[in-house]
Amino acid sequence: MAQIPNLDNAPLNLTSLREQSQKELLNILKNIRGKKCLVIDPKLGSSLSSIIQTSLLKEHGVELRHLSADPLQTDCIKVVFLVRSQLDLMKFICSNVHDDVSKGLQREYFVYFVPRRTVVCEKILEEENVYNLMTIGEYPLYIVPLDEDVLSFELDLAYKESQVDGDTSSLWHIAKAIHKLEFSFGVIPNVRAKGKGSVRVADILNRMQAEEPVNSPDMVVPEINTLILLDREVDMVTPMLSQLTYEGLLDECLHVNNGSVELDASIMGLQQEGKKIKVPLNSSDKLFKEIRDLNFEVVVQTQSVSELKDFVKKLNSLPEMTRHINLAQHLSTFTSKPAFLGQLDMEHTIVEAQSYDICFEYIEELIHKQEPLVNVLRLLILFSITSSGLPKKQFDYLRRELLHSYGFEHMATLNNLEKAGLLRKQESKSNWLTIKRALQLVVEDTDTANPNDIAYVFSGYAPLSIRLVQHAVRSGWRPIEEILKLLPGPHSETRRGRFSSSPSYDTLQASANIDKVADGRRSLVLVVFIGGITFAEISALRFLSAQEGMAYDLIVGTTKIVSGHSLAETFVERLG
Amino acid sequence: MANVSVAAEWQLLGDRYYRKPELYHPMQWRHIDLSRNKVACAPFGGPVALIRDDSKIVQLYSESALRKLRLFNSAGVSLSDVVWKNPGGRLIGLSWSDDHTLVCIVQDGTVYRYNVHAELIEPNLSILGHDYFDENVVECVFWGNGVVCITETCKVFAVPDFKTRTVVRLADPPPPPIELELELELPHCVAVIEPQFTLSGNVEVLLAIGDGVVMVEEDEVQALPVPPGDGPLQKMVVSGNGRFVAAFTHDGRLAVYSTRFEKMFEYQCESALPPEQLAWCGLDSVLLYWDDMLLMVGPSDEPVRYLYDEPIVLVPECDGVRILTNTSMEFLQLVPNSTVSIFKIGSTSPAALLYDALDHFDRRSAKADENLRLIRSSLPEAVEACVDAAGHEFDVSRQRTLLRAASYGQAFCSNFQRDRIQEMCKTLRVLNAVRNPAIGIPLSIQQYKLLTPAVLIGRLINAHQHLLALRISEYLGMNQEVVIMHWACSKITASLAIPDAALLEILLDKLRLCKGISYAAVSAHADKNGRRKLAAMLIEHEPRSSKQVPLLLSIGEEDTALMKATESGDTDLVYLVLFHIWQKKQPLEFFGMIQARMLARDLFITYARCYKHEFLKDFFLSNGQLQEVAFLLWKESWAIGKNPMASKGSPLHGPRIKLIEKAHSLFSETKEHTFESKAAEEHAKLIRMQHELEVTTKQAIFVDSSISDTIRTCIVLGNHRAAMKVKTEFKVSEKRWYWLKVFALATIRDWDALEKFSKEKRPPIGYRPFVEACIEADEKGEALKYIPKLADPRERAESYARIGMAKEAADAASQAKDGELLGRLKLTFAQNAAASSIFDTLRDRLSFQGVS
Repeated sequence: MAQIPNLDNAPLNLTSLREQSQKELLNILKNIRGKKCLVIDPKLGSSLSSIIQTSLLKEHGVELRHLSADPLQTDCIKVVFLVRSQLDLMKFICSNVHDDVSKGLQREYFVYFVPRRTVVCEKILEEENVYNLMTIGEYPLYIVPLDEDVLSFELDLAYKESQVDGDTSSLWHIAKAIHKLEFSFGVIPNVRAKGKGSVRVADILNRMQAEEPVNSPDMVVPEINTLILLDREVDMVTPMLSQLTYEGLLDECLHVNNGSVELDASIMGLQQEGKKIKVPLNSSDKLFKEIRDLNFEVVVQTQSVSELKDFVKKLNSLPEMTRHINLAQHLSTFTSKPAFLGQLDMEHTIVEAQSYDICFEYIEELIHKQEPLVNVLRLLILFSITSSGLPKKQFDYLRRELLHSYGFEHMATLNNLEKAGLLRKQESKSNWLTIKRALQLVVEDTDTANPNDIAYVFSGYAPLSIRLVQHAVRSGWRPIEEILKLLPGPHSETRRGRFSSSPSYDTLQASANIDKVADGRRSLVLVVFIGGITFAEISALRFLSAQEGMAYDLIVGTTKIVSGHSLAETFVERLG
Repeated sequence: MANVSVAAEWQLLGDRYYRKPELYHPMQWRHIDLSRNKVACAPFGGPVALIRDDSKIVQLYSESALRKLRLFNSAGVSLSDVVWKNPGGRLIGLSWSDDHTLVCIVQDGTVYRYNVHAELIEPNLSILGHDYFDENVVECVFWGNGVVCITETCKVFAVPDFKTRTVVRLADPPPPPIELELELELPHCVAVIEPQFTLSGNVEVLLAIGDGVVMVEEDEVQALPVPPGDGPLQKMVVSGNGRFVAAFTHDGRLAVYSTRFEKMFEYQCESALPPEQLAWCGLDSVLLYWDDMLLMVGPSDEPVRYLYDEPIVLVPECDGVRILTNTSMEFLQLVPNSTVSIFKIGSTSPAALLYDALDHFDRRSAKADENLRLIRSSLPEAVEACVDAAGHEFDVSRQRTLLRAASYGQAFCSNFQRDRIQEMCKTLRVLNAVRNPAIGIPLSIQQYKLLTPAVLIGRLINAHQHLLALRISEYLGMNQEVVIMHWACSKITASLAIPDAALLEILLDKLRLCKGISYAAVSAHADKNGRRKLAAMLIEHEPRSSKQVPLLLSIGEEDTALMKATESGDTDLVYLVLFHIWQKKQPLEFFGMIQARMLARDLFITYARCYKHEFLKDFFLSNGQLQEVAFLLWKESWAIGKNPMASKGSPLHGPRIKLIEKAHSLFSETKEHTFESKAAEEHAKLIRMQHELEVTTKQAIFVDSSISDTIRTCIVLGNHRAAMKVKTEFKVSEKRWYWLKVFALATIRDWDALEKFSKEKRPPIGYRPFVEACIEADEKGEALKYIPKLADPRERAESYARIGMAKEAADAASQAKDGELLGRLKLTFAQNAAASSIFDTLRDRLSFQGVS
């Protein structure tokens, strides 16, 4: 498992949050006496790797297994399933138990649901006649701190589930997670939401506060001053673009998973042929902390520049230096490919939205060449959103070409994308140009080395989502209401708790002085992305937070860290 | 002086003073003769239960022959009564459990339980059960929440906790030695060591059998050696801390042992007749009661005697013994140290002087000041003693005087905890309130602290003293929820005659007092009492959906439940409602209910997609969403494809195709799904074709690949006719066809065929595919055949660059007059100095021309 990030410098006391989660898990294990086999669903397993060390689990007499359809191999009498409350996982549990029963194995089963038990999962266990064999419990893990300023709710399917299936369980989960934070850090007085899901989360959060109030003493200033909720749906353009920050590019090319990448040992200069190693990527690595948010161009340049070497000397961290030189060199092999440059070119052309035919033909050609489906879908989604859908004839044509090239099973994929509004028939004129202009999304002459705008993360495109955050922090929704109306979903702005009586129009800036926490720390804005955030966007937020005249620290909450690839992937149905 | 009169009422036992203040006199009851009754008094000043003793012959005056169980508070105020009509034979014993349930055990082992309102709490518990139905209980000993019963054949049963209601049969005591040929002998007396004091955590029963004592446990019997000459023991009682046993020996001695029967003390009484009652008074002395006489024996030689001309009942408390007579209730206790220091005759302790000083102060005597000066240095202790002594007083005016003395002293000492007095005033106000005869709970301060305010409030509400309970909890700053909740429930039970709307108003009026109170719990109670409408009205006020929704379901308000669950945003609650309705209703009705509710419908579909395919089809059919059914069928076709068993080994993929065709026809029912319909049709056709290909090529590599893949595979296999056939059949565009064929030929490195193909006609998408395919296959020579044919000089430049031909690339780029391109190409050739310079020169020339 990957290295657990150091959270000591976090603007919130996230260490205690994580320790609480560790303790809860260990208590569960302690209460089941003796040796036991802990069967974890793989995705949860990788989330837990940011919470607790495997060795600590083993100290508690635990044999670790991953949940799968295959029969369970263990000598333990006690079997503890630790699973997210996902319907499809129940099938695995049932087949494991049925398999034991058919072999005449008598075991004691415990099922711990994360974060809570649900009627629907228990119903399935009941229908499969295994419910009576198990002791059911819950492990209330709602939040996983991924770094000093990034919290994940670990809901990787949230976007697809709510957009395609209409299953909004994730919204409740998010509200619950925020409410849990409020129990530790006080009721968040300002809430600004944009998007259907976000407004709903704000609403559920208020309900939770009414049902189970956080009693914060009157005189204590809440640690989090403002909550900004944003639906991914509001900005699906940004994640579809290739990220150009160092960390973002690592994710695009090597897929960062819960704070680490897995790659061949040889790339890292180790002499172990064919062996894979995990490289942790979080701010505990001082050098990484400095360069993760830089545009990759700058990273490549600075690596040869003595300035950085001095810096490294100061940090006395040569191993880190070598590590990142190796990583960056490996990345360069991707970025120097003509296909990559062509792709970037095309992305910018689509965002500019001036040359419809060129874009259309480019995508058509990708399909004809049978480039990887997800790459095609990314561009196609980008294209469809910026042009507010495709004319019926071309829509049908491209869909047909897709089915012919990749197989008819992708009818379901297309259907998913259509339900989510990501690929659709044109019904109205696109307002992308208006939005782009009003929010100054395309910035000419971006100096990636000495950026003065968030646009540096995409070498000239300022992520729409972060522009909205920028406005929300600076002045609230009011001044940009006209533009917000052009984006999907409603928006809301509320003041809560004992602040609810004070007028809601006063801006953050105006109240900044009062809100400053006494001990000199800056007060906080929690930015929550419902449906996922990309590393590039996080970098942009960090850039904002570091700006002069910014009175707040920003901290990110997200259903999951995503990339265009992982987002598009969730819509792909694999039937064949 | 006043002080003298206080101490005059004390008795000295050894070096300690005892006092016996009257708690209630006279008792509020009339014509009660304790000697005619079986009596149970609950400790901590709890209620008193009386019932005529049916083991005694008593004269009935003008009363019914039917016996009545009568319940009183400690002041003798009647709480309730009920006629005793319970079957099961003679009443063997009765006692109050910790939660103020009166437990009555009759001969056949049935346990009847009553609350303080004399209402039978059902179900009854049978100690002997079916297995020992022919046995009789002859003796029972109670403690806290448990009881031990002895049957006539000397079997021992225990109920360790009336709450869990499990009966345990303990080990049998050993039978008498056979050579003596004695009949089975019942124990002379029984005592119990409570589970909280034993090592095992289980109850231990002490039985005095023969000359010795036997200790019986769940699965163990142990004979305890009684010092020779002491047995047989006539009466035993275990001390309040479970560590000592006081016993009356056969020859009239009172002996105190450890629980392992090591003797610690003994006293020779005047009578060898065992006392009627034997009780510990605190841990320092033992009380023995014979007719008329109560003897208090302490560690010193000289006991204290009290005479009574009426029957008494001893009620042991943690800090003394309450003595109940026909006409009064007294409390016999050790005089607390603080009280002794103040009131002892001739005491010159600082506290006594402070108390005296107040007296002088009140009489405006200057001696007050003199007293104070004398004790200046020890003033804090003096104040503390007065506060403490006040707490131990039952007499309100004496409490007041002592507190005044304390507050007088406090004025002169700076370093005394100021809230001590205030706190004591608070405690005393509570104690005085509950000691009031109308309430009748004569707690001492020590008992109160041990009992805790929360339990006291519980007892008050149990006795329906809600107002006092509410005031006390408010006064002590405790959560009032418990009280209001209990009140609301009691109110509902007691208000059958009040119409729903009116009762709701009454209830809401009080429930509003308490934030966060569970309306759901009150509502559930209303429903249990058969007031469903009231329940529905109440549940409307519950803010917690997780409480509200299940209750709405239980009172049959499914529609509202679904609405509330949806509003809450908690999908788990929605599922709860869904499954509930699903189970209760006919499918069509169920479908109707969820159809208009988006979240419920979507969640149902999500679940059904995983586990209830057929039912889901019914749902879609019922509301005419044929395309959804079609999608389901289409999906199933893959499941069949993966599972050869499902296609029944049929090589024709018949069932799969049938499913897809069915999907096709369903799609074609609606105009909006023409695209899907066509796709399904094509899919079916494709599988047929692929199957044919598999048959003709004898290679199972076609089915489930895409149309493009099929074409490529055909070309790779050299089967160009088949490829062409697929192309025409599915109207594959020329563009796609070129890409596919070029790449397929490059895969098999058939460069001649590729060249031939390039010359068939002018390629519709130019020569780029050819160039790309060759470069990817690393065939520079082949690539060079096509690069010059590229129309766009930029493309040409880049292609040359990719195969490392700098000069040609530079030429092409300069033809394109693209400075940016030149720059990029230069980067590509960064390692090559010669190439670099070429680009630089060219770029300079370009910028010179101003075309950059």
